[in-house]
Amino acid sequence: MVKQSEIMIEARALAYDYSGEEEPSSPALSGVNLTVHRGEYLTLIGPNGSGKTTLLKLLNALLTPSDGEVIVEGISTVDEERTPQIHKICGMIFQNPDNQLVATTVEEDIAFGLENLALPSVEIRRRVVDVAGLLGLNHLLQKPPHMLSGGEKQRVAIAGVLAMQPGCILMDEPTAMLDPAGRNDVIETVRMLNRDQGISVVHVTHFPEEAVYADRVVVLDQGRMVRQGPPAEVFNDLQLLHSLGLRGTTAVELAAMLREDGFALQPQLLHCRELVESLCSLELKS
Amino acid sequence: MSRSITMGQYLPGNSFIHLLNPRIKVLSLLLVLFLLFSIQTYTGLISLFLVVLILIAVARVPFRYFLRGLRPILYIALFALVIYFFFTRGGVVLLRVGIITVESEGVREGLFVVTRLITLVLFSLLLTLTTTPLSLTYGMGYFLKPLRYIGLPTEEVAMIMAISLRFIPTLMEESQRLMRAQIARGADFETGSIFRRAKSLVPLIVPLFVSAFRRADELALAMEARGYRLGAIRTRMYEDTIAPRDWMVLAITLALIAVTFTIGL
Amino acid sequence: MFIGTEKLTHTYMPGTPFAMEALKEVSFSLSRGEFALIIGPSGSGKSTLIQHLNGLLKPTSGQVFFEDRAIGSDKTELLKLRRRIGLVFQMPEEQFFSETVFDEVAFAPRNLGLDEEQVRTGVKDALEKVGLDAELLYDRHPFQLSAGQKRLVALAAVLSLNPEVLILDEPTAGLDPAGRRHLFLLLDRLNRDTGLSVLVCTHHLDEAAAFANTVLVLQGGKVILSGPAEEVFAKRDQLYNLGLALPAVTEIMYGLVEKKLPVRTNIYTIDEARKEINKLKGRQE
Repeated sequence: MVKQSEIMIEARALAYDYSGEEEPSSPALSGVNLTVHRGEYLTLIGPNGSGKTTLLKLLNALLTPSDGEVIVEGISTVDEERTPQIHKICGMIFQNPDNQLVATTVEEDIAFGLENLALPSVEIRRRVVDVAGLLGLNHLLQKPPHMLSGGEKQRVAIAGVLAMQPGCILMDEPTAMLDPAGRNDVIETVRMLNRDQGISVVHVTHFPEEAVYADRVVVLDQGRMVRQGPPAEVFNDLQLLHSLGLRGTTAVELAAMLREDGFALQPQLLHCRELVESLCSLELKS
Repeated sequence: MSRSITMGQYLPGNSFIHLLNPRIKVLSLLLVLFLLFSIQTYTGLISLFLVVLILIAVARVPFRYFLRGLRPILYIALFALVIYFFFTRGGVVLLRVGIITVESEGVREGLFVVTRLITLVLFSLLLTLTTTPLSLTYGMGYFLKPLRYIGLPTEEVAMIMAISLRFIPTLMEESQRLMRAQIARGADFETGSIFRRAKSLVPLIVPLFVSAFRRADELALAMEARGYRLGAIRTRMYEDTIAPRDWMVLAITLALIAVTFTIGL
Repeated sequence: MFIGTEKLTHTYMPGTPFAMEALKEVSFSLSRGEFALIIGPSGSGKSTLIQHLNGLLKPTSGQVFFEDRAIGSDKTELLKLRRRIGLVFQMPEEQFFSETVFDEVAFAPRNLGLDEEQVRTGVKDALEKVGLDAELLYDRHPFQLSAGQKRLVALAAVLSLNPEVLILDEPTAGLDPAGRRHLFLLLDRLNRDTGLSVLVCTHHLDEAAAFANTVLVLQGGKVILSGPAEEVFAKRDQLYNLGLALPAVTEIMYGLVEKKLPVRTNIYTIDEARKEINKLKGRQE
């Protein structure tokens, strides 16, 4: 899809510290400038404790910055009067699927946000049915959340956010507790929403294989933004990734070794398929 | 295992009884209880007993669930029978063993009280077996609504109840998992003195609290992110509509009361 | 049979409308010193199975064996068994309840009634086995450690029993890539150096495949595939249909084979792949 240059979220000179809490207050975040465009898919990577979650919460007005500001569609997150609006524009999916489902049945959970918006019952039911149809959750509507698999729980959480017709979905390691099938389901769902509905996505993840689908990757370390760029660039900067305890995709890691061994591989390959093709073209030349 | 944990006593179904509005169900139960204690004759009591049997058939809930529900009151019923049989005087002497006599009035009254107790429990079970705990909460909450005018946050209380119901299975599963995990580390929750046993619960209770607080924290954040605000006006996905069948049930219940009092059952 | 099961069936809530058969006639066996994986989609019965191996659940039918003897329900026997078979649950740091790392790790040996001297040695050994600086950590509060350290302390809290078998459920869940790699390397070292038998339940073949000798694949409570790792991993289509992806390096090798390049496909680490692809160079000249 054609990316527009319209700005969805803008963070300027953003800083946050957990002062007032017992532990020695290390700045959780400092000097972060970040822009999320409409329809953009952004991934945030970084080691444990680098401030990824804090950044997400700041974007969604769940935290207010200690310095700098965040503007969501023209609204500053400091403006407490208008936080409900920000919550409607920016939905959030958390890591633990169990702790974000509120209601005793799936349909009531999807409806939760809409009930908070005080929409008429008819409209709530219409949107719940629409969203469930779109995400393939129809057969689960009457089930209690504790009977669902992890992947299903996360998709219900996404449905609950989607029903509020957000402009942006923020996701904090949504697949960390899922099996590969559940991970695929969640990632496919989010990519579909990004592609077909033009919803912006900010996705925190530890899995490089998930991060490569992004339009842009942002690397955080110790509360600072240390690198950003297209996945093919960032994931080929192995020196940086390794120094942070991160890694590139398998294809990138293997390609780097093979280049050392004298294989003249294509630069900036990212996916397994690209590596295979690049290797084959070498063979063909001989 | 989450799948093994049932919620309350509710058995899913879609019978006429299941579909009734919970408010009407709660109100009807209250009226029936009132009726049950007003009835003075066997004719009336047996009729009501038959009514509950018919309703159980309509609800299509297997009768063994009712038997299971009656088990706890078995001893109370027996105790009542003994007291009435041996200590109520009047009528013909049916049995005489030494100084103990059983007289017909005692038998009559004893059986009456026990039948009334069983009928009462059956009606209550009919409500809890055919209504989800959540609807039950809303149904009862409705009648507590006037308390809002004396400053009780009834909406919030309803939300708290609903969330508790949602998390009971999750926390039960978690405590089971924790218990097994600590047993795997050699913990013993079963033997020893009371003091020792209480102490042995520390490895269970501390992590359970830590996790419950973490869950509460995350849940609060998730609710906030989804636009929940204390005291804000909310709507409901399903308006609490009262269908013709609900009016019908209410009318029948009132009619029963009227009949009982007119002909003096 | 060192450890294994025979026709093990487990039903949760038998005799109710909620009855669910989590394991159906599962039979398998492992030899001492193996590094085994149990893989399968969620809800396939993995967690139920490993709890049986530790005597935490009672079979509905069938038996669990350890050293050729069926595990019974005698309490002292079970206590002895649990000393020899360590079980690490998923997210084990969620079980922490002590004020200090020392007390946390000492919980298991103390439960066995060891004297304070033996407990001290046990704790020290266990922390050193997982590569932590024992003396430095003793008095730290377990909740203040980093995510990776917490996981290692939780591992030490089971290793302090000095078990012969270590069973782990999703040991890398929630860790970052560095922590994940570190943990599997540690398990591999313990397996090689101390002869500890290791049994890991995991979804992530990418990080685990390289270390396994034996693999058991479960689906819907049944054993679908089992045997030496290479044989199981060779059944790529079957695994794929179960939603279990082979490691990305293995997929690269399969990709090369499809393009008619003569490489092996039983390759599960980047280093092996590098060597194998380098062999192609010789062919080029």
